[in-house]
Amino acid sequence: MDAGLLAQFVANGLMLGMMYALVAVGFTLFFGVLDVIKFSHGDVLTVGAFTGYSTYLGLKLLGVANPWLQVAAVVIVACAAMALLGALIAKYIVMPLKGAPALNVLLITLMLGTVLRESVRLFYPDGANPKRFPRLLPTDAVALGSFNLRLDSVLLFLGGLAVIVAIHVLINRTKLGLAIRAVAQDEETAKTMGINFTLVVLVTFAIGSAAAAFAGVMNGLYYNEINFGMGLWLGVIGFSAAIVGGLGNIYGAILGGFLFAALQTVGAVALPFASAYKDVFAFAAVIAIMAWRPTGLIAERTSERV
Amino acid sequence: MNAAPRAPLWPGIVAAALVTAFAVAFMWAENEWEVVGVLAAALVAVLVARRTGWLAPAARAFEMREPAMNCVTIAALLVFVAFFHDDHFPLLMVGTVLVYFTVCLGLTIQFGYAGVLNFAAAAFLGTGCYTAAVLSAHTSLPHLLVLAAGGAVAALVGSILILPVLRTRGHYAAVVTIAFGLLFRTFLEVNDTLGGPQGLKLPSMNLLGMTFNDNFIVAGIEFSFYMHYVLAALALAVLAFAVTRRLERSWIGVSLDAIRLDETAAACFGIHLARWKIVAFTLGNFMAGAARALYALMLGFIAPTNFTFGDSLVMVSIILLGGIGNPWGAALAAALVVVLPEKLQLIQEYRFLLYAAMVILVLLYRPEGLLPRPLRNYLPGWRPR
Amino acid sequence: MSAPVLALSGLTRHFGGLVALDALDMRVERGQIVGLIGPNGSGKTTSFNVLTGIYAASAGRAEFLGRDITNLRAQAVYEAGIARTFQRSRLCLPLSIFDNIMVGNHKRLARGLWFNLFRRAALRAQIEGAFEEARELVRVFDAPLADRMFDAVGALPMIDRRRIEICRALISRPQLLLLDEPSAGMTEEETRELMDDILEIRGRIEGLSIVIIEHEMGVIERITERCVVLNFGRKIAEGTYRQVAAERQVQEAYLGVE
Repeated sequence: MDAGLLAQFVANGLMLGMMYALVAVGFTLFFGVLDVIKFSHGDVLTVGAFTGYSTYLGLKLLGVANPWLQVAAVVIVACAAMALLGALIAKYIVMPLKGAPALNVLLITLMLGTVLRESVRLFYPDGANPKRFPRLLPTDAVALGSFNLRLDSVLLFLGGLAVIVAIHVLINRTKLGLAIRAVAQDEETAKTMGINFTLVVLVTFAIGSAAAAFAGVMNGLYYNEINFGMGLWLGVIGFSAAIVGGLGNIYGAILGGFLFAALQTVGAVALPFASAYKDVFAFAAVIAIMAWRPTGLIAERTSERV
Repeated sequence: MNAAPRAPLWPGIVAAALVTAFAVAFMWAENEWEVVGVLAAALVAVLVARRTGWLAPAARAFEMREPAMNCVTIAALLVFVAFFHDDHFPLLMVGTVLVYFTVCLGLTIQFGYAGVLNFAAAAFLGTGCYTAAVLSAHTSLPHLLVLAAGGAVAALVGSILILPVLRTRGHYAAVVTIAFGLLFRTFLEVNDTLGGPQGLKLPSMNLLGMTFNDNFIVAGIEFSFYMHYVLAALALAVLAFAVTRRLERSWIGVSLDAIRLDETAAACFGIHLARWKIVAFTLGNFMAGAARALYALMLGFIAPTNFTFGDSLVMVSIILLGGIGNPWGAALAAALVVVLPEKLQLIQEYRFLLYAAMVILVLLYRPEGLLPRPLRNYLPGWRPR
Repeated sequence: MSAPVLALSGLTRHFGGLVALDALDMRVERGQIVGLIGPNGSGKTTSFNVLTGIYAASAGRAEFLGRDITNLRAQAVYEAGIARTFQRSRLCLPLSIFDNIMVGNHKRLARGLWFNLFRRAALRAQIEGAFEEARELVRVFDAPLADRMFDAVGALPMIDRRRIEICRALISRPQLLLLDEPSAGMTEEETRELMDDILEIRGRIEGLSIVIIEHEMGVIERITERCVVLNFGRKIAEGTYRQVAAERQVQEAYLGVE
C-alpha cells in the first residue's frame, strides 16, 4: 500500500475517532452523575443529525445561501435542540428511574432509543431512506504526494477538538464543572453542600447530548449522508469506547474513541480478505476486549457490600 | 398426597372454548372496524369476568389440573386450525405465533430464569436459519435433522459469546450481545457465499415422505399446505414448553432463580454460576435456532433484514410484555405481537415503535407483565398435608 | 484431641492500602458459640467474606476440621460444611419460603440435568421429602410460618426473613454456622425470640458450632461461650464476655475513651 492511501486511512481514522470520542464523553458524563447508562444516547445523535439537516433545508427555503452561516446555524440548532431533548429525557425518564433495578433502566433507555429511531424512520419525510447531507464546508485540498488533505476534514477535526477542549475546560475550570465533579464523586455530600442536584444532572445531560448532536452533524458533513440507523452504530461504538477507556473518566472515553477508530482502520488496512469486514472485525475486537477486561481497560471501581 | 378435593376441570374447558371462539371471530374479521370491535368485546369480557370472579375457577383449573388443561389447550388450538384448514393466512399466523412462542421460551430460560441478557436473539435465530438453508440446499440430510442442526449451530455460535457474557454483568453484558447482533448482521450483508443482502431461498420441507409445500387431501377435505408446518411448529412448541416447564419446576429452576436474583448468595450455597448460565444460554439458543429454522423453511426465504437489532428487541419485548418467566405470558404476548399488526394493517408499519413504547409503559407501570409469573408450583395439584 | 472446627492463623485481607483484616488468629471448638464483636468497619464481616470465599485472603490460613480451606471457592466452602447468613438479608424475595430454603439445600439435592428433566417420579419423591424436612426446621422457629411455605418471602416481616435465612443456612446440616448480625433491624423482643430459637437449634443439632457477629452486647453475653473483639482489623481481646468487657482496650474501642 502506498503512503498516500495509508495517510488517507489515518486521516479517516482520526475523524472517526473524534466522533466516537464525542459520543463516549456523553456516556461517561451520564454515568458519572447518575450511575446509569443511557442507551438512547446514540439515537439522540441521529435525531441531532436530522435536526441539523432540517435546519439546512429551512435556511435554503429562507434563501440563506452563505455556507458559513448555514454551518453555524446547523450546528447551533442541532446542539441546542439535542441539549433540550437530553435534559427532557433526563428529567422525565432517567431521573424517575433512580433506584430502579439497573436492568429496567437499561431496557427502558434501550426502548426509548428504539422509539427515537423509529420516529425518525416513520415520521421524518422519507425517513426510511438515507439523506444526502450537503457539503457546507470548503472542499479545497492540499496535495501531499498522493494524499489529498481536504480543508473541510481539517475544519471538522478542529471543530471536534474544540468541543472536547471546551468540555474539558468546563469540567475542570468552572464552578459548574466543580458541581458536576462533586455530584459524580458523592451525591449525598454534594447535596448537603448546597449543590442543586437536579440542575446539575440536567445540565450534564444537556452537555452530553449536545456533544452527540455535534458528532451527528460532523458525521453528516464528513460522509455527506445520514440515515436513521447511524446512531445505533455510533452509540454502541461510543459506549464500547467509554467502557474500554473506563466509565466515568472523560480522558478514558477520548482515548477509547480513538482506540476504537484505530482498530477499525487496522481492520480496513490489514485484513487480508476484504475491508468489507472491518466492522465485523471492530465489533469482534470490542467483544474480545470485554471478555478480557469485563469492566474496561481502566477498571471501574466497584465494591459490593456483602 | 392429594388430600384436597380436586379442582373441577370444566371452568378451564369453558374458558378455552371461549378463547377459541374469540380467536376464530378475530381471524374472521375482515375490515379493521370488525377487528377493533372483536378486540374491544374480548377486553370487556375479560374485565367483566375478572370483576365477577368467574376468572378464578378457570385459573384454578389451569393451576391444579395442569396436565389435563395442557391437553385442552392443544385441543383448542387444533379446533382453531381445523376451522381454517384450507385458509393460508390464519394458518401462517398460527405457525408464526408458535415459532415466536418457542423462540421466546428459549429467551425465557436465558433471561427469565438465569438472568442472562441476550440482545442478540436475531443473531442466533439467523444462525439457525442460515444453517438450515445451507444444509437443505447442499445436503440430503433429513429435514428433522436439519432443524436440530440449526439449533445446534446456533448453540455453538452462542458458545463464542459465553466467555464474555459470563465475565461481564449488567450493562456490559448488554453491550456484548448488542455488538454481536450488529456484527452478525453486517457479516451476513457482506458475505457473498451466504447470498449477501439478497439472502437465500429454502426448499420445501420434507418429512416422512410428505412434501410440506403441497396442499393435501384427507377424507375428501383439502388442507392448506401450511397445515404441515403448523403441526410441525406445534410439536416443536409442545416439546419446548415441556422442557421449559420441567426445568422451572426442578431444583435447576431454583438454582437458576437464585443466580438471577443474587449471584453472591447463590455462590455461597454451592451453586455453580458459570455452569448453569452456560446450560441456560445454550439451551435457549438451541430452542430459538431450531424453531426459527422451521419458520425459514415455512417461508422459503431468508435475508439479513430478517435478523436486525429490531428483531432481537421484539423477542425481548414479548417476554417482558407477557410477564418475565411465565410461559403462558410469552404465548399470549407472542400472539398479540404477531397477529395484531397483521390484522390491523394500519399499525403494521409502526410496530417496532409501538412495541418499544409498550415495553416502556409496561416497565414503568406494570413491571411484572400481563400475566405475572406465579410462584413455583413444583408438582401441579400437589398440596402438602 | 480432635481438630477444632475452625482454626484461623494470621488471616489477612488488604483492600488496596487498607488492611481490613489484620492477622486474625481464632479457634472455634466443636459445639461452641463464639461471638465476633467490634465497632463498625473493624473487619468482622470481612473475616466471614474471606472465610466463605467471597474475598481471597491476602495472607494467612484457615482450617476447617483440620482441612485447609484458605481461598477455596465459595461453592467449595459450602460443600465442606460451612453455611452463613448475611448482614443485609440476601433472600430471593420473589421466591417462596420453600424455594429459598432449597437454595441452601443445594448440596443435598440432585443437580443433574437428566435427573431433573426426565426422572420425574424420583424428583417428586425428593421434593416431598425435602419439603417435610424444611417444614420441620421452620417449625422450630415459628409454627405458623411452617404453614405458609409457599408464600413469597418478600411479603414477610423482617423477623420472619431472618428466620428463613437461618433455616436456609441450616438445612444443609453444616458443621459451622456463620451468623452476620442476625439482630440487625429487629426489636429487643424479636431479638430475644430469635436467640431462643438459635439456642434451641444448637441443642437439637449435634455438634453444631456457631460464630456470631453481633452489636447487641446483651445477645453476646447471653449466648456466647467465648468472644473475639476486633478493632481496625486487629484482634484486641479474646475470652468470655465478662473477661473482654472488663478490658480497657475494648472499652476504648467501643466508647472512644482515650
